[in-house]
Amino acid sequence: MNWQVIKTLIIKDVTLYFRDRFFAIITVLSLVAYAGIYFAMPSSVDETLNFALFSPDGETTLDMTFQGQGVAFESLEAEEALINAVEAGDYTAGVVLPADFSANMAAGAPTELTLYYAANLPAELREAVEALFSGSGFGASTGAVIINQEVIGVDRVGQQIPLRDRALPMFAVLILIIETLGLASLIAEERETRTVRALMVTPMNISGLFVSKGIVGVSLAFSQAALLMLVTGGLSQNPLLVLLILLLGSLLVTGLAFLIASFARDMMSVMGWGVAALLILVVPSFTFLAPGLSSDWVQLVPSYYLIDAVDQIVNLGAGAADITINLLVLLVTGVGTLVLGGYVLREKLYES
Amino acid sequence: MTQPAIVAEDLTYHYGDNIAVDHISFEVAAGEVLGFLGPNGAGKSTTVKMLTGQLRPKSGRALLLGSDVSRQTGQVQAHIGVCFERNNLYERMSGIENLRLFANLFGISGFDPMPLLEKVGLSERGKDRVEGYSKGMKQRLMIARALVNDPQILFLDEPTDGLDPVSAEAIRRLVLEQREQGKTIFLTTHDMMEADKLSDRVGFITDGKIVALDTPRALKQQYGKRALKVEVSDGNGGVNAREIDLDQRDTSSVLQTLFEQEQVVTVHSEEATLEDIFIRITGQELVI
Repeated sequence: MNWQVIKTLIIKDVTLYFRDRFFAIITVLSLVAYAGIYFAMPSSVDETLNFALFSPDGETTLDMTFQGQGVAFESLEAEEALINAVEAGDYTAGVVLPADFSANMAAGAPTELTLYYAANLPAELREAVEALFSGSGFGASTGAVIINQEVIGVDRVGQQIPLRDRALPMFAVLILIIETLGLASLIAEERETRTVRALMVTPMNISGLFVSKGIVGVSLAFSQAALLMLVTGGLSQNPLLVLLILLLGSLLVTGLAFLIASFARDMMSVMGWGVAALLILVVPSFTFLAPGLSSDWVQLVPSYYLIDAVDQIVNLGAGAADITINLLVLLVTGVGTLVLGGYVLREKLYES
Repeated sequence: MTQPAIVAEDLTYHYGDNIAVDHISFEVAAGEVLGFLGPNGAGKSTTVKMLTGQLRPKSGRALLLGSDVSRQTGQVQAHIGVCFERNNLYERMSGIENLRLFANLFGISGFDPMPLLEKVGLSERGKDRVEGYSKGMKQRLMIARALVNDPQILFLDEPTDGLDPVSAEAIRRLVLEQREQGKTIFLTTHDMMEADKLSDRVGFITDGKIVALDTPRALKQQYGKRALKVEVSDGNGGVNAREIDLDQRDTSSVLQTLFEQEQVVTVHSEEATLEDIFIRITGQELVI
């Protein structure tokens, strides 16, 4: 392999990339925008206790019972609606009262209620909520209260994460995809304008072409995502592991760029294929933004393992042993996509 | 005996069931200009792709400067220059950057693009981005790019197609210069006049097969008809045109009678054009 040729091609690609005003601007803007959005989002969690309430017998006296304790209730019409609202994070917790709740209270008889928690509710808040309705709080002013507790979604007791940190892995994926579009556009342009044919009649061989494109793609994607993580503090824990995950993600998106460039012949079709890929890759983010919202099938999308790994390292302090599966999946899908994309693109280049 | 610059041996290529090039064989001597003529879809581009290492032949082989193109592709490509029909320059780079890029790909150290730019009349615009060039300027830069490695063999694909007469003439002068320097030139063109003017030999290809390959003069002698076009006065201020076949036994007496009995206004010799010959051989128009 002639590294002088590869160096020449890399310099050429980087020059052309940044001379394309659209991608030059969007690269800088997206980096600034995602970092800006991250810092604009609240860095702490509002701990006001907002409860959703479902009471079949129309019990509405809880507000008065907890007056002055920083607690608010909003009545919902069905238990299912309450569960959905708590799951969506609209309330700290949901309270479902039994049909005979008022009668038992009036009689001073024991009663029971069910508390629904959002999965990411911190342990201390969960304890506070439980205390409110148990003997030390609400229960003290009534008869005995039996509390049933239900957690919706993945239970992250004690690990409530600010929204911006939950969104950070998604921003990293978005940055990677922007670079995917840029590289795919660059290659599609080479095919459309047939400059690649001019390259193919020089001593440069086809493997040199792919190595240079691969280096440019991985470098652009990786450096942008790494920069975002650096600016937002995402490299404060296990930085090497985070960078490794981003590097594997960069292999994946570079392979995707090769595939997109194989099927797209101009900027518009790159955008079409690129947006389709973007939508699929971003879907797993919702699992982390709103736990329990997405279905298990998102685990079929390779970006899930990237987002999950970044989330676990950055937000939950996970180490390499905790994300072995993620590393393996990303390595296999990253290298696999790169090889597949390279092969398909090579065939398309020969065809044209 | 000097080794031929280009040798095609039983060269064949097909796209699926569609045969693009059908067992063609020919040689081009070093320093020779071969005009390669044929209608669209005849197999010209596929032949050039196989000769320049862009396509691997399905059967047969191509030798350039004695090396097998499929097996020693990089080695062969170091000694060829290709000027494509369609502009495929890097438009967001300047003329100088385009030439430097290819010089680097050829591993040429200390490359100075200015002499080449001067040769093609672009030295004043070398620092401008190619996207601002006219079509003629781009074509000249493509030729300059093809000359970056001082190639022994030049492949020129429709080098003057769609250019204004001045730009086309400038390109032809460049081609002639290269011929004078002893370069071997493989010229693909639709322009019969151009092929006639620039080529030592011309090859006609149709349906993937070479149907004729010889010097323009020999083809004209073999397939053409020599004639004189004579205009004689009609006595009323007008003229009548007559065509006299020069290859008939009684040509001299016919001419003598004509000059004795009629008032001859003009006499022009006529010979078949390459296009006439192409149509006669293939039964097809060249430009489709």
